Amino acid sequence: MNATITHGTTARRNRRWLVLSLAPVAVFFLVLSGFPVLNLLGLSFFNVEWHEGAANFSYVGIENYRRLFVEETIYWAGVRNTLIFAVGVVTCQMVLGFSMALAVNRAGSAGRTILTGIFLLPIVIPPIVIGTMWRLVMGREFGLANSLLRALGLQEVDWLGNPDIALASVMFVDIWHWTPFVFLLMLAGLESLDEEVLDAARMDVTGFWQEVRHIILPLMMPTIVITVLFRIILSFKVFDEVYLLTSGGPGTATEVINFSIYRTFFRQDQVGYGSAMSVVTLFAITLMIILARGLLARRKGAEDAE
Amino acid sequence: MKKTPRNIAAIFVALAGALPASAESQPEITMAINQSPWLNSFVAMVDLYEAETGNVVVLDVNPFGGLLEKIRNSVRSTEGTYDLVAVNSLWLSEIYSGGFLAPLGDIRAGYALQDGILTYGATTNWDPAVGSFSPDGTLMGVPVNGNVQVLYYNQAIYDDLGLSVPATWEELYSNAMAIADGTDSYGFVPRAARDSIVYNFTPYLFSHDAAFFRVTGPGQAEIGLNTAEGLAALNAYLRMSGEDVAPPNPGAIAQGELIQLLSTGRAAQAIAVIAAWGALENPNESRVAGQMSAALIPAGPGGTHASSAGHWVAGIPNNVPAERQAAALAFLDWFQSQELQVNYVEAGGVPVRGDLADTDLGANNAYRFLDAYSANAENAVMGLPFAAAAEASDAMALHFNRAVIGEESAEIALNSAAEALAGVLERNGFAVTRQPDL
Amino acid sequence: MSGRRIAGRVAANGVVWGYAALIVLPTLWVLSNAFKYKIDIITGATISPITWSNFEQLLFSRQSHFLWNLFNSAVVGVISTAIVIVIATMAAFTLGRLRVPGWVRWLILGWALLFQMLPTLTFVGSWYVMWQAVGLHGTYVAVILTHVVHNLPMGLFLMLSFMSALPNELFQAARMDGCSNGQMFWRVAFPLVRGGMIAATALIFIFSWSDFAISLALTSPATMTAPVAISTFAQEYDIRYGEMAAGTLLSIVPALVLILVGQRFIVRGLLAGAVK
Repeated sequence: MNATITHGTTARRNRRWLVLSLAPVAVFFLVLSGFPVLNLLGLSFFNVEWHEGAANFSYVGIENYRRLFVEETIYWAGVRNTLIFAVGVVTCQMVLGFSMALAVNRAGSAGRTILTGIFLLPIVIPPIVIGTMWRLVMGREFGLANSLLRALGLQEVDWLGNPDIALASVMFVDIWHWTPFVFLLMLAGLESLDEEVLDAARMDVTGFWQEVRHIILPLMMPTIVITVLFRIILSFKVFDEVYLLTSGGPGTATEVINFSIYRTFFRQDQVGYGSAMSVVTLFAITLMIILARGLLARRKGAEDAE
Repeated sequence: MKKTPRNIAAIFVALAGALPASAESQPEITMAINQSPWLNSFVAMVDLYEAETGNVVVLDVNPFGGLLEKIRNSVRSTEGTYDLVAVNSLWLSEIYSGGFLAPLGDIRAGYALQDGILTYGATTNWDPAVGSFSPDGTLMGVPVNGNVQVLYYNQAIYDDLGLSVPATWEELYSNAMAIADGTDSYGFVPRAARDSIVYNFTPYLFSHDAAFFRVTGPGQAEIGLNTAEGLAALNAYLRMSGEDVAPPNPGAIAQGELIQLLSTGRAAQAIAVIAAWGALENPNESRVAGQMSAALIPAGPGGTHASSAGHWVAGIPNNVPAERQAAALAFLDWFQSQELQVNYVEAGGVPVRGDLADTDLGANNAYRFLDAYSANAENAVMGLPFAAAAEASDAMALHFNRAVIGEESAEIALNSAAEALAGVLERNGFAVTRQPDL
Repeated sequence: MSGRRIAGRVAANGVVWGYAALIVLPTLWVLSNAFKYKIDIITGATISPITWSNFEQLLFSRQSHFLWNLFNSAVVGVISTAIVIVIATMAAFTLGRLRVPGWVRWLILGWALLFQMLPTLTFVGSWYVMWQAVGLHGTYVAVILTHVVHNLPMGLFLMLSFMSALPNELFQAARMDGCSNGQMFWRVAFPLVRGGMIAATALIFIFSWSDFAISLALTSPATMTAPVAISTFAQEYDIRYGEMAAGTLLSIVPALVLILVGQRFIVRGLLAGAVK
C-alpha cells in the first residue's frame, strides 16, 4: 500500500483497530451469552410448567424471591457455608500459590521444570474424578488417609461423615485442586517483572521479606487482584467436588450455593425459582468482590503510607 | 394436528405387525440410555433383536448424571433426537405429566403390556386427571430394567450365628444386634445420606401402613407422614441407624459406601437395590461373592410388606416421526417375552417379569435372588407419585437426614418434613389436608 | 551467606518439596487404581495384583470410544483456546492501554463479569435450544464456540491484568515514534505479555479440556469429549474407580503434553515474530 503514512490515515487506522480488536469479543458475548443471561434474569419472575409437551410460562412477579427469602432453608445454609468456603480456600490458595511461585521462580532450571509439572497436576485431573477419588481417599473405613493415621498409631477421622469437619475436608480438597491456578498466574506475573526495575528497587530494601513486601507485591498487584477476583467467583461456583464428595451432607454441613441451584434448577426443574437463586447469588458475589477490593486497596494504601 | 397421517401409519403398522417377525422391517431408531452395570445385558438384547429382525437400534450411552438433561432437551424441542428414552423411576412423573411421551395405544391401537410384566406400582400408566400413576391411566411405557430394594444378608454369617431370615423389623434388629455382638461386622447399614434417605426410608414407612401422602380425590391430598404410624416407622429406621448396629455417622452413607461395606464383608445386612447383586457376586469386586442372599423386606406391625421402586421405563416421545415411533414400539414389544427375559437375566440384567422363578433360572444358584426380587417387586411402591417428586424428596430428605445425625428429634423431623411436603403439594395445585403436629 | 540464611533456604526447600509430595502421593495412589481390581481399590490396598482389565474395558469395550473422546477433547480444547486467546489479547490491549469510551469498557467488562458469575449449568438449556434451532447441535462448531464464549471472560480479565502490568513508558515512547495502535500491539505489547499469555492459554485450555456441563449438553456420541466419557463411570449403582482412573491417566498425559509443548511452541513462535 501507500508507503507514506499521513496523520489522517493513522487516525483512521487507529479507529479501525479499536473497532476490530473489540468486535470479536462483543459479537461472541452478544450472540452466545445475551440470550442465556437475559433468559435467566427474566425467568426469575416466572414459573415454568410443562403440559402436553409445551411450556407454560406464568408471570409470578417477585414470588420466587419472596419464597427464597421467607421459606427457603437449604439455600441459606449453603450461603453461609459458601462464604466460609470462599474466604478459607481463596486465602489459602493465594498464600500457597504465591509462595510456591516465588520458590519455583528462584529455583534452578531443572527443579523449575519438575516442580511446575508437579504443581500443575491437580488441575489437569477432571473435577468429577477429583471428587470421586478424594471420597475414596477420605473414606472412613478403607481410605488412604485413615490407613496412614492408623499406621502412625493415631485416631481415625471420619473426614466426610462427621458434620463438624466435613466442610473443612471439602475445603482441603478444593485447595489441593485449585492452588495450581494461582500458582500458574503468580509465576507468570513474577517472570514478567522487569529485572532492571527490580534491581533498582532492591537498593532501597534489605532482606528477602522486605523485597517481597515492598517491591514484588505492589508490582504484582494487577495480577493478584484479577486472580483473587476469579478465585472468588470460581469458589462461589464450586460444584463438582462437593457433588461427588458429600452431596451437601451430612445435614447441611457441606451444602454450597451452586449445589442448591443445581438441585432446584435442574433436578427439581424449578427453573424460575432456581433463576432467582442465581440472581441473588450474583449480588452476593458482587458484594464479596467489593469487600475484597476494599481490603486490598486499604492494604495497599497502608503500605504506601509506611 | 397431524393426526391423520399418524393414524394411517398406525393402520399400516398394525398390518405390518400381523406379518411374521422376519418380514417386519423397521427404520433405524436411536435410544437414550445411561451407562450402568446392566447396560451390557441390554446391549446383548439389542444385538439379539438386530440379529433376529435386521432392524437397527442405536444406543446413545450417557452418564447417569446427565441422562435426564439429555432427555429433557430432546423431548422438549420441536423435533426430537431420540425415538426411545430410558426414564429412571425418579423422573417418570415429570416426563409423563409434561406430556412428552406418546401413549402406546396411540402408536398401535389397543396396545397393552404382555401378561407377566411388572409395573412396580402401576408406574407404566399415567392418569392426567389425577396427576398420578394409576392402573386405570394411559399406558405410557414399558419397563426395560427392573429394580427394587430387597433385604441383603450375609448367608455365611447367618449360618455361623444360627440366624434366620427376619420377617419383621423387630427380628431384623435382633439379628443386627447378634451380628454386632458376635462378629467384627456391622449388623446393618442404612443408606441415610441426604440424596438417598427418602428412597431408603420408603419401605419402613409403607410397611407401617403410613405414607408420605395419599391422593384422596382429584387434586386432593392428605399428608400421612406425621402420624403415629409415621413416627413408628421413623423410629424403626433410626434404631437401624444407631451406633449399636450401624457404622458411625450413617448420615453420610450413600449407595457407594453401602455396597463397599457389604462387598468387603464389613457389614452383614442392608436394604439396597437388587441392581447391586451383580457387584456383590463378582469376585473381582467383592469378598463375599457366593455368600450373599436376598430376601423379602421385613413387615411392619400390621404384617404389611413394602419395597421402593427404582426401575427404568422406556417411553416413546411425541416429537419423532410416526414410523420411528412404530419401530420403537416394535422393539419394546419384542423385549417383553418370557423367553427373552430369561436371556436378559442370563446376560446379567434385572428382569421386568415376575414369573421367571418358575423357569429354568429358578433352579440355578447363580440366580437365587429371583424369588426375593419377584416378591419385593410385587410390593414395590412409588412413594411420591406426582410431578414434583424430586422437589418433595429433597425437601423431606434434609429432615430425615438430620434425624439420623441427631440434629432433629424424630417428631420434629416428621413435622418439618410434613410441612415441607405440604408446601410442595400446594404449589403443585393440590388441596392439602394436614395432620396436627406430633 | 549467613548461617541463618542457609537454614532459611533449607527450610524453604523443605516446604516446597513437602508440598510437591502432598500433590504427587495422592495423585499416584489415585492413578495406581487404574491397574487394580475393584475389590483392592475399595479396600484401600496399596500393594495388590496388577490387572490391565480397566484399560481393556476403557479402550476396547463396545460401549467405550475413549481414544476418539480424547481426540474430540483435543480438537475442542485447542481450537477454542486459540480463539479465546487471540481475541481476548487484542481486546485486552485495547481496553487496557488505549483510550476507549468509558461506556464501551464498562459494557464489555461488566457483561463479562456478570456472565462469569452466573452458574454455567443454568445456561446449557438455552444453548441447546439455540444450536438446535440453527441445526448445529452435536457438532464441533457448537461445542467449540460455546467453550469460547464461556472461557472468554476469564481470558479477557487475565490478559487485561497482564496488559496493565506493562510499564507505561514503553507505550509513550512508541507513540512518540509514530506507531499506530496496531503497531504498538504487535511490537510492544504482544512480545511483553507472552509470559502471561502462556499462563492464560494453559488455564483456558484446562477449563475447556475438563468441562463437563457444556460438553454433555451439546455433544452427540460422535463429538463426546473425554470428561463426559469418564463421568459415565460414576454410575447409578456403581462407581467404576478402576476405569475412571485409567481414563484419567490417559487424559492427563495428552493435557500435560499439550500444555508443555504448546508453551514451548508459543514461546518460540512469539520470539521469532517479535520485533523489538
